[in-house]
Amino acid sequence: MRIVISAQSGQPIYEQIKKQIISAIAGGEVAPDSALPSIRYMAKELGVGIITVKRAYDDLCAEGWCYSLQGKGVFASPLRDSAERKFTDELTRKLKDIADYAAASGVGIDKLIQILNDLKGE
Amino acid sequence: MNALEIKNLTVDFGDFAIRKMNLDIKKGAVTGLVGRNGAGKSTLIKTIMRQQPATGSILYDGKKFSEHEVEILSKTACVFDAPHFSLSAKPKKLKKAFAALYPAFNGQMFDELCAKFNLPQDKRVVKYSLGMQRKLCIIIALCQSPELLILDEPTSGIDPVDRAEVVALLQQFMLDENHTILFSTHITEDLDKIADYIVMIENGRILLNEDKVTLTEKYRLVSAGTMTEELRAIAIGLKQNAFGYTFICDRPVEGEGISSKIPTVEELFVYLSAGNMNGDMRQ
Repeated sequence: MRIVISAQSGQPIYEQIKKQIISAIAGGEVAPDSALPSIRYMAKELGVGIITVKRAYDDLCAEGWCYSLQGKGVFASPLRDSAERKFTDELTRKLKDIADYAAASGVGIDKLIQILNDLKGE
Repeated sequence: MNALEIKNLTVDFGDFAIRKMNLDIKKGAVTGLVGRNGAGKSTLIKTIMRQQPATGSILYDGKKFSEHEVEILSKTACVFDAPHFSLSAKPKKLKKAFAALYPAFNGQMFDELCAKFNLPQDKRVVKYSLGMQRKLCIIIALCQSPELLILDEPTSGIDPVDRAEVVALLQQFMLDENHTILFSTHITEDLDKIADYIVMIENGRILLNEDKVTLTEKYRLVSAGTMTEELRAIAIGLKQNAFGYTFICDRPVEGEGISSKIPTVEELFVYLSAGNMNGDMRQ
């Protein structure tokens, strides 16, 4: 993985680091579940502050590109998993809306399942 | 977690003083103390190293310096603005002296670093250039294997090539998360880059204490062709030239004829310092 820091870009350094790690993960250059360099090592190699790299890693974790394991470091999230997770989250949200609507109208889960089965038969 | 906690610190020289200063220095991080000549940087460092009487308290790892002086100082190494050992000695001899003084002194590292920075060990230190003396002091401090490294103007007088090497050495030191660096500077860009926290002091008072990421998010250096009431209300350290105005502000500003960028630590300090004198600090 190559990371180039530009002082002239006008973009905060942590943003520059973050974007380049995202493209390395999205481009498959960093394999899923492989460890990213340690924060302190990256800070030393790039000649930037520890807190700057930490901010980039925190953002990457918050946005699902990476995950951190206590005491072990930060790892690249599998791309498929994150896409799947996003889909499941979306589906759950929609189903919850429907379940709430049905419950408010006094319709039970059994009835909902029956409707789904009927839909499948069509 | 804090490495150092400075509480209610007062140092009184009559015409100059540090008054009731409160400051926490984070463990595992690099803190840069930025200020003009005579701002109180060296006084603060001497006070921490117990070479300057003061009232208030200073704690390391939650323990008071006044009660655990020997223990804390054994984990601390300091590089002052001038060598604190005999200049007529040769580094060879200094190595032995420091090894006797500090059980954790790393003699092998000392030899390696002297070779790396072209410091001949059989030449008297007094024959060294100022830059070489400075490098030697930093090497001696690092070889003490401290947890807390305090440096007063560490890269002043060192040429750019060696300065970069010194900065790299400090970052190497910071690979251990139990290590902490506090350094003072009149602002040198290479040190700004590795600092995690910036503390600006002026007249013995803290002007600003912020982490580097917040600094880059919060402050903007703005250039404007014309000055409006709205801009004047948020401008810190406003300067006027023949073609317009420049100032620092602590929020994003947009508009026609206005451009803004992330200031360097140096720019931030110059404007905040001017703003402090104008009384337009809003913190």
